[in-house]
Amino acid sequence: MKPGPVAALVAYLTALVVIGFVHDPGWLAGGLALAVAAAGRLRWRLLRRSLVAILTFNLGVSLGYLLVAAWQAESSWSVLIRLNLRVTLLVFIGFWFVARVNLLAALRFSPTLVLLATVAAGHIVVFRRVVDDFRCALISRGGGRPPPWRDRLRHAGGLSACLFDKSVTSAERSTRALRSRGCFDD
Amino acid sequence: MHIPDGFLSPQTWLPAAALAAVAWTWAGRGFRDQLDDAALPRLAVVTALAYGLGLVMLPLPGATSGHLIGVPMLALLFGVRQAFLACSLVLLLQSLLFGAGGVTAFPVNALAIGLAGAITTRVVFAGLRQFNETVAVVLAAWSATLVAALIVGAVLGLQPLVAHDAAGRPLFFPFGWSVVLPAILLPHVLLGLGEAAVTLMVWRFARVRGWEGAAVPSQPAAGIGRSAEPLGDGR
Repeated sequence: MKPGPVAALVAYLTALVVIGFVHDPGWLAGGLALAVAAAGRLRWRLLRRSLVAILTFNLGVSLGYLLVAAWQAESSWSVLIRLNLRVTLLVFIGFWFVARVNLLAALRFSPTLVLLATVAAGHIVVFRRVVDDFRCALISRGGGRPPPWRDRLRHAGGLSACLFDKSVTSAERSTRALRSRGCFDD
Repeated sequence: MHIPDGFLSPQTWLPAAALAAVAWTWAGRGFRDQLDDAALPRLAVVTALAYGLGLVMLPLPGATSGHLIGVPMLALLFGVRQAFLACSLVLLLQSLLFGAGGVTAFPVNALAIGLAGAITTRVVFAGLRQFNETVAVVLAAWSATLVAALIVGAVLGLQPLVAHDAAGRPLFFPFGWSVVLPAILLPHVLLGLGEAAVTLMVWRFARVRGWEGAAVPSQPAAGIGRSAEPLGDGR
């Protein structure tokens, strides 16, 4: 039986706490294997997504620790295996939770939070498009060459100002739209 | 700058979550005091704006780039509480949807970047504004970036001290302050300069448009920010 969104949220938050107190690499590996097995058809996609999300930071920390430990002639493998297993497990169950549970449904205990998340998520899509448009414009103006430092700084300033401008008008428009649909009368 | 999942011990993130809950209550209460039907959409849009600013790339020497944290701009124009709430919501969405920054690290990230960054901006700006407004904006944004990085570095560097096994080997983030503080602070000295430059550009733009937080008291303001719904409480 599939748990409800709020129960899934509570289970996820509990898992975060429990995993923080598990330090045995065997248990962490078992937990990861269990989570991957339980994730069903999504498992490989979620695992790949998790590994990509943690790659840069974990690689930097792991290589740095490997070098320091080698320099001090200490064994570092148990530390690195534990660290990477824990990070992978936490990120995997995070992506699994988001993939299986409708976040807005999980937040339904608070109508204010649902409204906030819905309006914010809608605007995030719009703002991402604006950022992409500006980025494409900057690249196309450079004729294939990387834009000079000053142009990129001006681009960042112009884009930020545009986002501010858009957010001000969007806030007013959203308010009118919500008011006209009776959102504030409930 | 924000910390991924798995690098902070529960001894760190559980107390941080309690502290952050108090801070969110404080920020939310201040916001609810003036809760009208314009307040919620405004906060939602400022949240989306904070997300958008996080996508703006800053040029750095060597043809590399970082990205804005946006909190100094939000704090200058909308006040500490809105900046903190918006930044917190963005960090939460980023950690859940994109795996950027962890859910366990979320309270520390929100306190360091959202709250400490916003407070630093307002304090430095208020202290220096009377001497020179341009310098005040630049130093406020630069200081906010560095203070946020310093807190993140301090919390990461604390991990080997508070969480290690019987042999003294770290259980979570493995580096102490001597390694992590220079590694985090030095790039942020440069990133802070980029943040300051872009914040100043937007600040000047906002003044021209007469947006509330940036308006000069003696100057009659005209523009979108002065229409029916003001932008923020200026706190």
